[in-house]
Amino acid sequence: MRVTFLLGEVANGIRRNASMIISVVLVSMVSLFFLGAGLLAQREVSVAKGFWYDKIQVSIYFCTSQSTGTPSCTGGEATKAQQDQVKSQLEGMKPLVERIYFESSGQAYDRFKQQFRNSPYLSDVSADSLPASYRVKLSDPDKYSDVVDAFRGQPGVEAVSDQSRVLGTFFKLLNVVSVGAVGLAVVMVICAILLITTTIRQVAFSRRRQVSIMRLVGASSTVIYLPFVIEILIATLLGAVLAIALLWALVHYGVEGLFNTRGAGGDLVSMIGTQDVWDFAPWLVVGAVLIALVTAWFTLRRFLRV
Amino acid sequence: MIRLEHVTKRYDGGGAPALDDVTCEITRGEFVFVVGASGSGKSTLMRLITREISPSQGSVLVAGRDLVALPDRQVPALRREIGVVFQDFRLLEGKTVYQNVAFVLRVLGTKRHRIKQLVPETLDLVGLDGKAGRLPHELSGGEQQRVAIARAVVKKPPILLADEPTGNLDPETSAEIVTVLDRINKTGTTVAMATHDQGIVDDFRKRVLELADGVLVRDEASGGYLRDADRYDDLEDEA
Repeated sequence: MRVTFLLGEVANGIRRNASMIISVVLVSMVSLFFLGAGLLAQREVSVAKGFWYDKIQVSIYFCTSQSTGTPSCTGGEATKAQQDQVKSQLEGMKPLVERIYFESSGQAYDRFKQQFRNSPYLSDVSADSLPASYRVKLSDPDKYSDVVDAFRGQPGVEAVSDQSRVLGTFFKLLNVVSVGAVGLAVVMVICAILLITTTIRQVAFSRRRQVSIMRLVGASSTVIYLPFVIEILIATLLGAVLAIALLWALVHYGVEGLFNTRGAGGDLVSMIGTQDVWDFAPWLVVGAVLIALVTAWFTLRRFLRV
Repeated sequence: MIRLEHVTKRYDGGGAPALDDVTCEITRGEFVFVVGASGSGKSTLMRLITREISPSQGSVLVAGRDLVALPDRQVPALRREIGVVFQDFRLLEGKTVYQNVAFVLRVLGTKRHRIKQLVPETLDLVGLDGKAGRLPHELSGGEQQRVAIARAVVKKPPILLADEPTGNLDPETSAEIVTVLDRINKTGTTVAMATHDQGIVDDFRKRVLELADGVLVRDEASGGYLRDADRYDDLEDEA
């Protein structure tokens, strides 16, 4: 079968079964949109957690040269002696304190740049404005207040925080959104598979005479199946492109527009950006191709015996 | 070219076999009528030869292939060596005569310049010269069957099967169609035509295989009945 003939058959098939093909496009779009939304929600959890979230419970931030208005920072940047004092106190709190990590100001800046790459505030932050810190992993996270109380207000210590208590609810919400979106995506993918099956059966029925002639003259199963497979592939790929466009619009106008702009609260939590949509886009396309090829091939083998 | 050895075919529904222990051979270049009443097994025989169905017992050999042992992936290659014509023409309504005939070659990947050469040649062979641009519904029944024959032979198969090709046609047009098949046979193509039109069979005086209730009861070329005369008469009375 020559390419021009194949393309002609595909174009005829799409024209004659336009309504079914459009429904495959729409169902593919919705299922891949939910799948993408679930993946983006997971990415948001990962982006917002940053480097330390899952590793530690308490962070002890030292004063920087720019720390003002904090009584414990009146001496300016925390001295080496003050940092060593905190370290020896932490070591004295074992076994509650399980592990201690030190993050210098420079390391903190590098991680900040990675985590807040989509934030408009990135350019405002200089390396020396980020504090050095001790990150503490506890053997019993519920006793975090023991550590917080021990260091709060200590000279050279600007703040002691337990980030997980603040962000825990937010992440729980995002996880629910993520699981919900992926769950809906699974349902919609099942819908897409059933619809593709029905569409192929209908298209095959409308072309039964043509197919029977192809079969009798000795066309191979590949030649007979190919126009059907390409039609479904085009429809699902179009659905994937539309889903990616919708996700891009959601992130561009809904996330970046509302949160990643100055004065919009984007400085509280680092947010995903459109680059994250492009990161997932190839996988959505691969997903669309797999759904189309596998479903079409099995349906054709079952309903269009050669 | 085509050999059936002790072929029995039973369909899933049970009951009497559609073909019962049939043994026969059609040699290269022959023209054979397969006759018998409706339900006698003619179409089953045709479908066995194109490997649309497989025998329950026995073996079918076509163009050097054992169809019982033939893997599914090699069935298309077998069918490329067989042209098939049906009673109901089975033309593609939206395509012209030329497009209907060229469709086969396009499906098989024939080069464009070869298609441009083969299609007019074949239309000329079946007597449809000058009607290439017509749509099927603009043609008479006889002309539509000629298009179907052209489509079956345009790929130049060594075997042509015609399953009741005159079933929808008047006697005069039927004779014309068989004349076309005879002309194709003279180019070296083996032709097997299933029919229950005894007049056609008598007029053309070709080899006759007669089926009755799935049993091969007559092979005229072999010069006698394969079953005893009484049994054949009984079957004929029932038919």
